Amino acid sequence: MKQRYLIIIGLITLFLAPLVLPTFQITLLNYIGLYALVVLGLVLLTGVGGMTSFGQAAFVGLGAYATAYITTTEQLPEWLSWTAGSPWAGLLVGILLTAVVALFLGAVTLKLSGHYLPLGTIAWGISLYYLFGTMSSMGGHTGISGLPSLNIFGISLDKGEKIYYLIWAILMVAIWITSNLLNSREGRAIRALKGGQLMAESMGINTFRSKMVIFLISAIFAALSGWLYAHTQRFVNPTPFGLQMGIDYLFMALIGGAASVWGALLGAGVLTMLKQWLQDFLPLIMGGSGQYETIVLGLLIIFMMQRAPGGLWLILVKLTPVSWRNQHRIKVDTSAADLPRQALPKKGDLLLEARHVTRRFGGLVANNNMSLQLHAGEVLALIGPNGAGKSTMFNQLSAVDSPSDGEVLFLNQSLSNKTSRQVAQMGMSRTFQHVKLLPTMSALENVALGAHMRGKKGVLNALFHLERDEEQRLLKEAQYQLNRVGLGDHLHTEAGSLSLGQQRILEIARALCSDPCVLLLDEPAAGLRHKEKQALAGLLKKLRAEGLAILLVEHDMDFVMNLVDRIVVMEFGEKIAEGLPEEIQTNPAVLEAYLGGAE
Amino acid sequence: MPSKKMLSALFLSTSLIAPLANADIKIGVVSSSTGPIALVGIPQKNTVALLPTSIGGEKVSYISLDDGSDPTATVKAFKKLIDEEHVDAIIGPSGSGNAMAVIQFAAESGTPMLAPVGTAAVVLPMTEQKKWVFKTTQNDDLIAAAIVEQMKASGVKTIGLIGTADPYGENWAKVMTNLTEKAGIQIVASEQFQRQDTSMTGQSLKIIMTNPDAVLIAAPGSSSVMPQTTLKDQGYGGTIYQTHGAALDAFLRLGGKAVEGTILAASSMLVLDEVPDSVSKEIATKYIADYKKLYGEVPATFGGNVYDAGLLLENAIPNALKSGKPGTAEFRSALRDTLEISKEVPSTQGVYNMTPADHSGFDERGRIMITVKDGKWALLK
Amino acid sequence: MNLQIATLLGQDGLTNGAIYALLALSILLVFTVTRILLIPLGEFVTFGALTMAAIQMGKLPQLEWLLLGLTCIDCSLDLYQQARSRFNRRKLQGVALKLGYAATLVILVHTLPLAELPMGAQILLTLALIVPLGPIMYRLFFQPLADAPSLVLLIVSIAVHVSMVGTGLLLFGPEGARTKPFSDSGFHLGSVMLKSQTLWVILVSIFLIVTLFIAFERTLYGKALRATAVNRMGARLLGISPVFAGKVTFALAAFIGSASGILIAPITTLYYDSGFIISLKGFVGAIIGGLVSYPLAAIGSVAVGMVEAFSMFWASGYKEIIVFTLIIPFLIWRSMTSHHVEDDE
Repeated sequence: MKQRYLIIIGLITLFLAPLVLPTFQITLLNYIGLYALVVLGLVLLTGVGGMTSFGQAAFVGLGAYATAYITTTEQLPEWLSWTAGSPWAGLLVGILLTAVVALFLGAVTLKLSGHYLPLGTIAWGISLYYLFGTMSSMGGHTGISGLPSLNIFGISLDKGEKIYYLIWAILMVAIWITSNLLNSREGRAIRALKGGQLMAESMGINTFRSKMVIFLISAIFAALSGWLYAHTQRFVNPTPFGLQMGIDYLFMALIGGAASVWGALLGAGVLTMLKQWLQDFLPLIMGGSGQYETIVLGLLIIFMMQRAPGGLWLILVKLTPVSWRNQHRIKVDTSAADLPRQALPKKGDLLLEARHVTRRFGGLVANNNMSLQLHAGEVLALIGPNGAGKSTMFNQLSAVDSPSDGEVLFLNQSLSNKTSRQVAQMGMSRTFQHVKLLPTMSALENVALGAHMRGKKGVLNALFHLERDEEQRLLKEAQYQLNRVGLGDHLHTEAGSLSLGQQRILEIARALCSDPCVLLLDEPAAGLRHKEKQALAGLLKKLRAEGLAILLVEHDMDFVMNLVDRIVVMEFGEKIAEGLPEEIQTNPAVLEAYLGGAE
Repeated sequence: MPSKKMLSALFLSTSLIAPLANADIKIGVVSSSTGPIALVGIPQKNTVALLPTSIGGEKVSYISLDDGSDPTATVKAFKKLIDEEHVDAIIGPSGSGNAMAVIQFAAESGTPMLAPVGTAAVVLPMTEQKKWVFKTTQNDDLIAAAIVEQMKASGVKTIGLIGTADPYGENWAKVMTNLTEKAGIQIVASEQFQRQDTSMTGQSLKIIMTNPDAVLIAAPGSSSVMPQTTLKDQGYGGTIYQTHGAALDAFLRLGGKAVEGTILAASSMLVLDEVPDSVSKEIATKYIADYKKLYGEVPATFGGNVYDAGLLLENAIPNALKSGKPGTAEFRSALRDTLEISKEVPSTQGVYNMTPADHSGFDERGRIMITVKDGKWALLK
Repeated sequence: MNLQIATLLGQDGLTNGAIYALLALSILLVFTVTRILLIPLGEFVTFGALTMAAIQMGKLPQLEWLLLGLTCIDCSLDLYQQARSRFNRRKLQGVALKLGYAATLVILVHTLPLAELPMGAQILLTLALIVPLGPIMYRLFFQPLADAPSLVLLIVSIAVHVSMVGTGLLLFGPEGARTKPFSDSGFHLGSVMLKSQTLWVILVSIFLIVTLFIAFERTLYGKALRATAVNRMGARLLGISPVFAGKVTFALAAFIGSASGILIAPITTLYYDSGFIISLKGFVGAIIGGLVSYPLAAIGSVAVGMVEAFSMFWASGYKEIIVFTLIIPFLIWRSMTSHHVEDDE
């Protein structure tokens, strides 16, 4: 709870600041607030979502120019005449315009991976900047002056000390809704974007949508900051919306710590003050002119990246006593209603079928004419020596990859044009050979990701935490599944600090959380200790009894033989045997091919 | 009670220090010594060292800040100077856009602002806020009028315009459109370029296609060279006019043969040897010599604009001191009032005559017609 | 528009396009070997041009002090590292060699009559001053981050660019500069007058592009260098360490950058901050090449130059906007053709 006290103290300080501080400090605080609002969007985009944008300044410009145009132009175009030159209309138009532009740019760039996004943002950042300067109706490079000051409830915010309250109130609300968003179902999906997109898609999460959501939010924060900027400065010209500023915003996020909402505030504050100090003190140290700032600033960023890539906020957090940290524990309300479950298919129903699946990679045939069937209420093992093509087969079955020939049917539907996300929504869930967890998130939240599809409340609800009821039901389900797999004591442990065996079990809990009828497990027993294996076998038997269909790829023969109903054996991409464990154990072809060399 | 003693001692000493600190006249200077218009800002910042250090028996201290050509930073710098340093007047900023951004803050705090910027928009049309702004440079239209007059006299009927895509080029395009219309000269092509452009072939071809009698290039600093060399390379034969933005030695050096015969209107600083003796000439000669001694090069005329601001202050401060102590609102207000009635104040660029309606105050003495002859500036005869 | 104008614009676009192509190629080269998007490449261009201009005016380029200073830092880091392990004779010789090189250049620059040197010597001197900055830059800023995520590398790259622009202002001042052309002659192509310098630019660019292409596509050593990006172990087996590969590519990039600067300095005015926009246009070309294909990047860059030249003619105010939105259709095409979800980290 100490965090809450800190926030309250901070808010009181903020409220009192204009009464105590000289106006220049308030001016700086205003700018810090304006910058922090933009950087907050970048924290969401870059720190949480893993997407780099140099173009935020252009969005700030859209917000600023929209309101500047509407409030100063003498002759509003017909379709805007209803706005009557009000700054509030400017705000509305600015945000709508920004949203439209962001939707377009997002659609173009967000699907791209790696470096295309940052380079793309540089390109449109430059284009928009030049556009502001070229349009003569927008005052050209000279800019637009004489913007009116804002009026709220009859109070004119014409002085820095007055608009200060508006800026910081908006920033605080923005921080609040951002934190809300991140601690919600949608937020978990967003947090999965950085390093967990493949997993997220398999949990039925539309990662492109999540990207678009944060791209839009960050653009709107930027536009909002631009609107405030325009009415604080009461003058706009293209310079503050150029690429240089876009780079500065990103620097702020990185200095502060891109992974935390408070890092945004810290970064904006530190960089703004740093520039002031550098300007004051560098000439004293270096003598002569003050042209050293940019050099020092650049070197500082390089140094930070080399020594403290997590930013200052992370350093601060590490400096605080442990008892102050980890206060943020998600509480699970055990009285919440259960999530509805899907009726499982009848025992023995055919759920998943591969028909003559062949997969070629160039000249290499990884799977050749593979067929298998999986029924409700059975555990099927897919075994074979290394390089037999098991993983490729697994990918065909889970729709991560599609066969060159033949087809895979799930619930009598062909998977040929389906994505892993759609398959997940149909009721198939899986684990990964190389564990794919979000290491800094708690076990509970990791598992709750699996229940993503079972929630319906969207981003707007999440922003204002109107979905708490559903959230509790999701968390309760996650807790139930964790208890079920025997990780009930580790609800709040960071997933990354669990043992490898526990992480594998955690993946199963996550898969179960999506209420599947088919469970695909990729080497679930690898890295487990004997006791854990026994517990896992017990769990899988229980699931089978409930009517789930389970397919596992596994190396551990003891584990397989004592658990599964049927076995399919692969070698060189082909099926060489299929049958009951006892039959396989004595099958000469299998012994020859699979165990032959060893015995 | 030692603590009480200490407190009162502290209180006493601070109350003693405070008036001492305020006894100096403090002048803030904001220039763009980095960023896109650094070439305007750097000579201006350098000139600060040449400003008068004592006026009317009071010590004058200068606080010089850089705004990196960014209007947001200009506002920050102004607020810092006004609120933290309690300056009595501010010289700056370097850019027209930057100046537009800070007028309201200078006016709100009642601090006279001497803007060494080109655009007349900072003082025209006169408003309650612009009352606090004094422009130390020739208005663009004053110079433009001289150019248009010269064009008309030499029988130019059509002109082409090439301007930088920045406030400077933009304002010139506007001013020229007005003036040429009145003079019966037709603008047949108007093109833009970015300072950093590596090629100007397209713009110059487009102008040559319309075959105007003359071309005016409106660009600040060395960016004025490339349009001209490109035009010459492509065989344009008409007269090329430049604005006072080209009035730099770098223009001659970079342009070489291509700028021979260029006509421009600028302050007499460029051709001091040829103009008849005057107070302005004396001042400019001294300024250039001092600057050269300090920095080893001849200053661009932009620097002179800051120097002139110092001259205006030197002229006005003694009178303002009668009304109040430096650091007080009365002093600043009196300073403004006195600046507004500056009469016949000679400067490096001409002679100032301020009125409540005209806060620029230059007349025709502020510019002369200059040409390039044998790689040197020469008076146009 | 008639044929004459089209020819003039075309040759203009080709000249600029050739420079962009050179830059795009070094961007690709650095990217494929080190995963770094070399934003500061443009600063090498301006440093090259401005140093050359300073030398021609007989002024001290000042860059020699930067080189000496950075070499000293580099060498002290080397010594520090060795002090922690064991001193190695060969490494010590390397340190002495580097220091000696920088010191020699300082002395040369301060004793030679810079303005009177033949142009070839001036060019050599400029290159000798700038090219070593490449490897030093890699050693100081990027080598400690060899295993960092690509985002971090990009940020550092931008930060280096910011610092270098500041350094450029400090060293060269805000004024633009241009240099003397390699030769003054011009010749006629039909009714169009061509300056010989544009021909120089195009010919030297083509020569460098072809050389690079052959060096990296056709020789074992070049292939091995490129292989370091994919397989560090494999490259090590061939005797190429990732550090060495990084330094070599940075030296090449610095060479190509400064050579481009020297090439275009006689036909244009360059400022301390012109480099960014030039290298970004190289990036647009490289993106069109999908950040992998050398020939596509070269073609893309020439296209950028052409579009630039013609949009300069049709709508001079919108030139940059047109050039930079050029990549949007390409990005659309890329995003339509890529379906897979991937975990980059």
